[in-house]
Formats: sequence, structure tokens, C-alpha cells
Amino acid sequence: MAEHAPKSTAFANAPEPPPELERKPLVQNLRSFAWISDRIAAVAEGRTPKWWWAAFVPSVALMIMCFVMIGYLISTGVGVWGVAHPVSWGYAIINFVFWIGIGHAGTLISAILFLLRQRWRTAVNRAAEAMTIFAVMCAGIFPLIHVGRAWMAWWLFPIPNSNNIWPQFRSPLMWDVFAVSTYFTVSLLFWYMGLMPDLATMRDRAKTKIRKYLYGLFALGWTGSNRNWSNYEKAYLVLAGLSTPLVLSVHSIVSLDFSVSQLPGWHTTIFPPYFVAGAIFSGFGMVLTLLIPVRKLCGLEEVITVRHIELMGKVILATGSMVGYAYAMEFFIAYYGGNPYEMFTFKNRAFGPYGWAYWIMVTCNVISPQLFWFKKIRTNLVAVFILSICVNIGMWFERFVIVVTSLHRDFLPANWGYYSPTYVDVLTFVGTFGLFLTLFLLFLRFVPLIAIAEVKSVIPQGDPDHPLGSVKEMLPATPEMKPAAKEPAKAAKPLGLLAEFETSAEIKSAAKKVRNAGYRRWDVFTPFPIHGMDDAMGLRDSRVGWFSFIGGVTGYCSGMLMIWFMNSFDYPLVVGGKPLFSPVYAFPVSFELTILLGAFGAVAGMLITNRLPRWHNPLFKSERFARVTHDRFFILIECRDPKFSETKTRELLEAAGSRRVEMAEE
Amino acid sequence: MSDLFPRWYNQLPLKIALGLLVSAVVVSAGVWYYLTPKYSRVGYQPIQPVPYSHATHVGQLGLDCRYCHTGVESSWYANIPSPSVCMNCHSQVLPNDPHLAPIRDSVKTGAPVPWVQIHRTSDFVYFNHAVHVNRGVSCVSCHGQINKMVEVRHEQSLTMAFCLDCHRNPAPNIRPLDQVYNMTWTNDPARQLEAGVRCVRDWKIRSSHNCSACHR
Repeated sequence: MAEHAPKSTAFANAPEPPPELERKPLVQNLRSFAWISDRIAAVAEGRTPKWWWAAFVPSVALMIMCFVMIGYLISTGVGVWGVAHPVSWGYAIINFVFWIGIGHAGTLISAILFLLRQRWRTAVNRAAEAMTIFAVMCAGIFPLIHVGRAWMAWWLFPIPNSNNIWPQFRSPLMWDVFAVSTYFTVSLLFWYMGLMPDLATMRDRAKTKIRKYLYGLFALGWTGSNRNWSNYEKAYLVLAGLSTPLVLSVHSIVSLDFSVSQLPGWHTTIFPPYFVAGAIFSGFGMVLTLLIPVRKLCGLEEVITVRHIELMGKVILATGSMVGYAYAMEFFIAYYGGNPYEMFTFKNRAFGPYGWAYWIMVTCNVISPQLFWFKKIRTNLVAVFILSICVNIGMWFERFVIVVTSLHRDFLPANWGYYSPTYVDVLTFVGTFGLFLTLFLLFLRFVPLIAIAEVKSVIPQGDPDHPLGSVKEMLPATPEMKPAAKEPAKAAKPLGLLAEFETSAEIKSAAKKVRNAGYRRWDVFTPFPIHGMDDAMGLRDSRVGWFSFIGGVTGYCSGMLMIWFMNSFDYPLVVGGKPLFSPVYAFPVSFELTILLGAFGAVAGMLITNRLPRWHNPLFKSERFARVTHDRFFILIECRDPKFSETKTRELLEAAGSRRVEMAEE
Repeated sequence: MSDLFPRWYNQLPLKIALGLLVSAVVVSAGVWYYLTPKYSRVGYQPIQPVPYSHATHVGQLGLDCRYCHTGVESSWYANIPSPSVCMNCHSQVLPNDPHLAPIRDSVKTGAPVPWVQIHRTSDFVYFNHAVHVNRGVSCVSCHGQINKMVEVRHEQSLTMAFCLDCHRNPAPNIRPLDQVYNMTWTNDPARQLEAGVRCVRDWKIRSSHNCSACHR
């Protein structure tokens, strides 16, 4: 498509940047807004492809097997597992840590890369966040069934009960409950909030009534109003800010499950950063394993480009090297610390009865990602796919090595043993892949797997200050709608003048003109948030941050108060001679509650300031307005505005560049 | 679009939120009341093989608890009497009463009378009758006014909270040792508290609240 054409006018006198400094485009071939929404939404529309069924049926079968195994476990007892003295943390804990680790890529991509302004994240964040949620669901199963009496699992939550006792908040296992459930909830909120504009796109494209209704219901009446975008973006930023420490805290707390106990091989301070690096490593491994086939099968090679794959390969290289460093450092400290038990544990880890697992881990986690130093390998999709599977295997073995090798050699040689899983262990674990893939495939078919609105905002046309932002010839011709052909009876009350614009540059300059003309009751509607539009409209800074702040402060204070009340006042529980209350041990849970209520505050603040959900909106009556979630931009000036006059306002909008101005009705 | 979502949809969130709030309160209150031992265990009164009336034997005739439950002072277990204890009197009194047939059968065959257990603690809870009755905790405190029950019923919740209430503050439930088996003994609350505190001190009652006191 016209690669040189747009440069002709705008770039005529500008010096050409050297080719090696030019950024590779995030969407190849200069695609238009319409192409992006058509192509991405097509995956969730139309007939179900054969490959989908071919993947879905075995996944469901595996998922059913997982639930059968869990049913067998609960009805029979934990004796059906291989866990026994001395290895009492077997597959369940290994798999829990494995899945939780995988769940770290999504929030990392959506939050940390967002804060770091890595715009390539837009093509992969939706799928990665979905993967996170499903992985955390798989992870959550294991502690639940590991407690033995799964129906008593509610005792983990601080709910008043007739035993008059409260959870013991000095235990990292308790912190885990809060960390993982907060992580799941916040990830889900983040994911859903990102979905809202795209669900509106799906709603406006839907052909059948039931699809229109369901997408409409979940889109909460999103119109793409810039007053809404302003609050939405603030809430998104706040959620990203909250999720960043959250994602780091979750795997740190998971690592504390191990490192707080005084067991050689577990009791080390390197565990939290080492676990977080490993989690990101495994998460990106899983993202690549999923997205390399998906981009091919769904025909999205131009959106999830080789550059995206390459960048993720670099993340794997970096985190894989950190993991390798941590392995080396564990050995060094075991030697340098001079503790004979530590030394024994690590010698035993590499050369003992589980040496085979250790060397699988080292091969997959330390050696194989080093191949990503080579650009040829980073850009070879088959190689990346195979290496990403290696990462998954290696990270599972890492958890196996950590859990099993430290436990199977006790301080008393009489307790030594060898752990092997039973078929129930193995089938439950394999079954969780079924659950994971089933959910992921359902996600592919029902929800846009790439953030449509966000991708539109990172292509050159989406930037009003970019030369391509004002280029019209790239837009496909619009079928001209017959103006006022089916004008209804004049009984309807007029709402205001709705003007349509075609490019991001046009809408931004038009917004400036409307603002300068002194209008108050007006709004801009766009398919994606446009950079600088808030200033053009003269909007004040969004107040969403305050909602989140109040939520966070409430969360922190109520967490501290709750723990003091439960463990020190209402039931003074003495554990190991530790103080009844200390802000140090109360911190992890209070921190998680800060994040949780802060996130609730951000989302609630976004909905309240935006007056959403608002399913019934007079603007939806306009057929033309349905394109606001697709490729068109609108300005609405309401009749309620004191300066409104039908002729003058219409003149202003037409002068601003709109070719279609219509009267919207109440 | 607009025909799919009529205007009243916009009021839905508020209504749903209100509905959820109300149902959450109702469900919590319901669970709190109906699904806790205070409701689900108190009042349990199974039909026994022999309609033995504590009201008659203890309330009217003045039998001491220990006449039948002989082990209560010396073991963790307040035993159910063997049928021969019944026959001490009933070989003379009402010797042919049809209600007592299971007792007579049991004496003849040696098979135990299938009494239905009413008060039970979980397997993971250790409870010792002897330490309680020997330190002034009366039968009444946990079993209620047995002397008035024609058929025995579950009188107290016997939850962990019930145990803890007394373990944290035993004074109100400690009485003189010679009144432990007196089902009708009462004391003026103010004087009881004072006496109870003195007993706790003098008899060195250390009602522990650590986990391993009961969960051994």
C-alpha cells in the first residue's frame, strides 16, 4: 500500500532519518483503522474454524479428566497422591508455583511495559492478560485441594466463625491467600477495563440480536466519549501503577512460602527476586508458546509482527540470565556461607538422586535461552517456539527441584526418602493444561484477542501530530448515506448536532475550534484515546486518582487494624514466641489490601465519573454513530448549551472540516 | 441498539447493587443463625431405646450424677452406666415394666443397650471430664439443667467459642467443690464472681488457651 505517497507533502523538506534509526512500524503495511478492527474482530466473528474445534475438543477432554481426578482425590483422600513423609509438598505445590509464575507475564506486559511506554505491548497485552487470569485459575486449584479438606478452605479467609478463632497472619501461607486472590481480582479488573472499548466495537459490529445484546451488556454503554476516555486513561494508569508492585509482590510472597521456613535450600534471601525473574521468564515463555501459533492461525501476522516476537525473546534472554545468575549464586553462597547442611543440600541437588531433574532445569533455563543472543534465532519463529516450550519445561522442573530436593533429605538420615508422583498427580497436572487451553480457546472465539482501540492509537494515523494523522486517501470510501431519508416524525426532541470527522488531526483541530467558540456542553467521540485531546478540549485532570487513593488508604488501614484485632486483641494467638502484633508481619497482607481496594477505587471511580454503565443512550439511535468504535470521529454539541444555535453551530462544525452534520435526537 | 436497551436499563446498576447488598446481608444473617452449632446442635434430642428420665431420677429422687456416671471424677470420660446399675433398683422397682425390657435383655445377653450419643466432640479435640469437675466446673455448665429433662437434649452449643469463653474467664463458672453435682445450686452473681476469682487463684486454675491444650 502507498508507502511513499503520504510522505510526499508532509515530508517534502524534512531530512530523511538514516534507515537504521527508523522505528519499525508496530502494524505492518500502513493499515487503516477499519482494517485493524475488521481483522481482529474477525477472529471472534464468522464461522468457527476447523483448527479451533481440533484444539477445543481435546482440551475439554483433558479438563474433564482434571475434574474427575480432583473428584477422586476429594472423595478418597490425599492418600491417592504421592505425597508422603518426608516430601509432603509434592505436585500440588510445584504446579501451584508453576502456574502462578506463568501468570506473571500478563500483568507485567500490561502494567510495567505500559509505565515504561513500551508501545509494542498493545499487540500482545490482551492475550497475555487473559493467559494470566486463566493461569491463576489453574494455580488456585492446587492449594485448594492441597489443604486436604477442601470444604474447609474457607477457614483461610478472615470470616467470623463458631470456633472463635482467626487466621494466623504470621504465616506466609496466609499472605499467599491474600496475594493470589488480590492478583486474580486486580488482573481480572484490569483485563475487563481494557476490554470495554473493544466490547463496544464488537457490539457495534454485531449482526445478530443476541450478540448485540450480550456485547452491549458487557460494554456497559461505552460510547468512546473523550470525557470518558480521559477518566478511563487515568484509571488505566492508576491500575498499571498499582499492578506493578503487585506483580512483583505476588511471586515474592510465593517465594516466602519457602524462604521463611528454615530448611537448607529454601532459607535464602535471594528467593524473592529470583522467583520474580523466573516468573517473568516462564510467563513470556508461555505467551510465545501461545501467540506464535495463534498469530498464524488467526492471520494476525501484521499486528503481532516478528518484531514483537523478537522483543519478547529479548525479555526471555534477560530474565533467563537472571535466573542462571541466581542458580550460580545459590551455589556460591552455599559454599561461601560454610554451612555444612547448605553445602550438602546443593551438592545433593546437582549430583544426588534428583540430579537428572536439576540438569534438565539447567539445560532448559540457563543454556537454551542464551541462544537468543543471536538475531537469526530470535527472528526464526520455529526456533523461538521450540525454545519457549523449553522454558516452560525448565521452569516446571525448577519448582520440582526446589520443592523435592530440599525435602527429601531431612536433618535426620532416618527420614530420607524418594518422592515419586502417582498417576493421579500426573493426570491432574496434565488436566490443568486442558482447563487452561479450554479457557484460552473460548477467549479467542468470543473476545477480541488484541486490544483494538490500543493498536489504533499506536499506528501513525492515530497520532494527530504525525503527518499521516491527517491523511484521508488511505481511508476506504464511505458509502454515502442518504441524508434525512428516513427522517422520523418531528415529535422527537433534538439532542444536539452530531458532526462526523475522518482523521485524528481533523478531530483535534475541530475540538480546539469548538472550545475556542466557548461551548460548554459538548463532547468528542473517538474510537481510541487521542493524544492531546484533553488539552484541546480543555478538560480538567481526571478525579479518578482520588477514588483510588481513598481506596488504597482504606485498604492499608483496615488491613493493619484487622490483623491487630484478630491476632492480638480478639484472639491473642501465641506462635513461636513472636510478638502478638507487629507492623512487619502485618505488612504483606495490608499491602495486598491496599492494592485491592485501590484498584476497586480506580475502577469504581472510572465508572462513577463516566456515569457508566449507561446502556440506553440516545446517540445509539444514529446509525452513523455506530462507526465511532470503528474508524470515525464525532463531535456532539448539545442543544442545552447556552451558545447553541442550530445554524451557527452547524456552520462552525462545517467550517471545522466536517462533511456530515446531523441533528441527533433524544 | 436503543431498542435492545430501553431507558430503564440505566437504573439497573443501582438496583442490582442494592439487591446484592440486601441479599448479602440476608444470606450472612441466615448462615450466622441457621448454620452455626448454636442453632444446628442445640436442641438435639434423639429418641433413646429406654425412655430414661433424668427429671424423675435426679430431680425427684435426688440421685447423684456419680451414682451412674462413675468415672467422671477420675477419667476423661463420663461413662454411660452398665445395665446392672439400673438393675440395682429395678430388680425391685417396676421389675416387669415393658419400657425396661432392653435393660433386662442387656443384662441377660451382655449386649450393650444401644443408647444414642448426644454430646460429642470432634476427633481432634481432647476433653477431660475429670479436670473440669475436680476444679469446680459443674455438670450444669455444659449439659444444662439435666435434673429437669425428661429426655436429655443438647443444651449448649459446645463449640470452640463456647470452650474459649470459659477458658478465658473461668471465674463465673467455678463453684465450691461440694456443689459441683448439685444441679440446683445458684449464687448471687456479684459474690459468685468474687468467690470464683478466689477459687481460680487458690486452686491454681490455669485454663490454657494455647492450641495444644485441646488439639493434642
